[in-house]
Amino acid sequence: MDFDLAPEQRMFRETVYRWAKEEVAPLCEDADLRGAFSPEIWGRLAGFGILGLPFPEEFGGSGADIVTCCLAGEALGHAGVDGGHLLAWGAHTYLCGHNILSFGTDEQKRKYLPRLASGEWIGCMGLTEPGSGSDAASLSTSARRTGSGYVLNGTKTFITNAPVSDVFVIFANVDKKLKHEGITAFIVEKGTPGLSTGRPFHKMGCRCSATSEVILEDCEVPAENVLGGEGMGWIIALSGVEWDRCTLLSPMLGCAMFNLDACARYANERRQFGRPIRSFQAISRRIADMKVFVEALRLAIYRVAWAKDKGRMLNPLQAAVSKVYAGDRGFEMASEAVQVFGGYGFMHEYPVERNFRDSKLAAIGGGTSDIMRMIVSRIMLMGFGV
Amino acid sequence: MDYELEPSRVDFLKALGAHLAERVAPRRAQLDSCGPEERARLMRDNIAGLGTHGFLAAMSIGNPPDLVGHYLALEETAKACPATCLSARASAFLCAGAISLFGSPGAKETYLPRLLSGEAVGALAYSEPGSGSDLGALGAVAESDAGVYLVDGEKDIVVNAPIAEVFVVLARTPEGPSLLVVEGGARGLEIGPCLDTLGIRGAPVGGVRMRRCEAACLLGREPGMGLEQLERLLSMGAVGAAALCVGIAHACMEISTERAKSRSAFGKPIGMFQDVGFKLADMFTLVDLSRLLALRAAWAFDTGERDAPVRAACAKLFSAEACSKVANWGMQIFAGHGYLAGSPIERLYRDARFGEICERTSEILRLTIANEELDRFAGFA
Repeated sequence: MDFDLAPEQRMFRETVYRWAKEEVAPLCEDADLRGAFSPEIWGRLAGFGILGLPFPEEFGGSGADIVTCCLAGEALGHAGVDGGHLLAWGAHTYLCGHNILSFGTDEQKRKYLPRLASGEWIGCMGLTEPGSGSDAASLSTSARRTGSGYVLNGTKTFITNAPVSDVFVIFANVDKKLKHEGITAFIVEKGTPGLSTGRPFHKMGCRCSATSEVILEDCEVPAENVLGGEGMGWIIALSGVEWDRCTLLSPMLGCAMFNLDACARYANERRQFGRPIRSFQAISRRIADMKVFVEALRLAIYRVAWAKDKGRMLNPLQAAVSKVYAGDRGFEMASEAVQVFGGYGFMHEYPVERNFRDSKLAAIGGGTSDIMRMIVSRIMLMGFGV
Repeated sequence: MDYELEPSRVDFLKALGAHLAERVAPRRAQLDSCGPEERARLMRDNIAGLGTHGFLAAMSIGNPPDLVGHYLALEETAKACPATCLSARASAFLCAGAISLFGSPGAKETYLPRLLSGEAVGALAYSEPGSGSDLGALGAVAESDAGVYLVDGEKDIVVNAPIAEVFVVLARTPEGPSLLVVEGGARGLEIGPCLDTLGIRGAPVGGVRMRRCEAACLLGREPGMGLEQLERLLSMGAVGAAALCVGIAHACMEISTERAKSRSAFGKPIGMFQDVGFKLADMFTLVDLSRLLALRAAWAFDTGERDAPVRAACAKLFSAEACSKVANWGMQIFAGHGYLAGSPIERLYRDARFGEICERTSEILRLTIANEELDRFAGFA
């Protein structure tokens, strides 16, 4: 048993934190108020090597392990980078890029990964549909075989990065009768006839990630753009879940650390009734709860990341614990942070307000908290020896 | 980084688990319901049994400190019988641990072999009718008389008092509060009657009254160090208190899961209804996170991390509150049958309530944790 980070990992987190606090966080408030994806912020993330972090060096990345990727997410959130850009990063680097890295052919990797790493291209992944959310395997987007490839038809929704994407990883079914065994992933490039995106949605939180529908109307995709082979789509989608439950959650941990720092500082500065509000237990108990939350969530997230680095099969219980805790308790804690700031916390100018809105996504995206409980309870009831 | 237990620890836990299943678990209901004399006899026997296999030594502090092993041994024991966990811990950790941390070589030689083999039972007597969380308000006094300390005072809630042969006592010497060893047979020592408690009834608890009671020795090189010593001991102690909570919560989760599988309503196992099944999932989440926090804190002590005490405080706070919630959900799953006196969930439900009260209430822990965090930014005010 060893909970420590390697010295270079600690140094990396510190470096990312300091850099992001100086170079990225100051741009985030304005971007969030406009609800706009910022090419400026994106370019800085690319320039620092964040976008290609887990890709091997030969594909323009840094070859970072999963724990290190989580450290980057934690540091960025802690520095005050908004949840929207961090979500965009997750969709781009992990859901699109890492799926291509894990399941793509050499040609696919060579073509897409360096461009995703440099930020030249933006990537996204389309799984969810208007009629298929938690029950993802019931997706109805179809892929009909033709002589030279496939023709895709269907609509995807809530697709992070879709309005700004150049590379779309799209899940479609080649034969509905095969159910999830017919699900296949395709790489579809921007400009492909029949591919279009809808009007960007206005979201409650994570407002800087551009989100829209993806519409596929007789969209012809060549056979070489199948990712991982026909019928492999469901396995690819499930493998993405592992990323959801560590790397994509790590920014939530960072945002909670940001809130903890902000509240602890404010509680020292702010005076009412002639004394700093830290001396009121109604305030200080919230600080304690946030601290406990941050420590527990960190352990849960890095446990998943560590196991993944070791090449272990995903432990669905451990993954679900990190997701449900980040989602449900994270939202409660973000709300408490607003409460510490009182009226100021209700104002856009204070990042705790933004973090509150952003934090709600963790209980919804990438498998809702309810789905997490379904997974855990089924395993328990199936006779798993707890 | 390595989140897994070493194989030697897994083997140790297997051996301990087997011992508990055979010798301890079968008595837990009896321990909960029997009278004081039988309780004392059974608990002495349980502690002696744990001593003969080296399990008590694992529950102490270890040299070098092995709080990971301490945590694991206590959690495993609490799963089988929370009362045995509490009693064994009071002897092996609170009493023997204090002696091994602060005692002279002579004191260690005199007391540790007996305490860690289970031949003798130990207790730590510190809280008083007027001094619980606020230990500075201590009333017991000790004065040196020709090189011997004579103690006067009263300790009202002392785990193991009715069965202990060795007491570590907090009393005020002229230099300040000090920890002293008082032997069970000492002149002037009076053990009060066995007290009845809401839960964890198998652990014998009683008051101690000392009148010109002769202490066997002082712990530490000089008097007046008692509060610092106790702080050090109890900050580590949060790890073991968390172990008790995790063990109770785990046991609740286990029997609730079985119940949700075996009990049917409206044609299916009740666990298949989301309002029941999702409670099981929440139980799992809280137990799992409690254990992670506690092991992390234990590891921090073992490796000498500066923030080990605050980590342990986080672990105890989280696991105690988790334990209350889990037991409450468990009672809900068992419903009417769980509410019957003598049902396993009824016993665990009463046991669980102890977590948030024992050795630093949740309120005190929140203050400790919050001040630590707030002080990071105190310079900005």
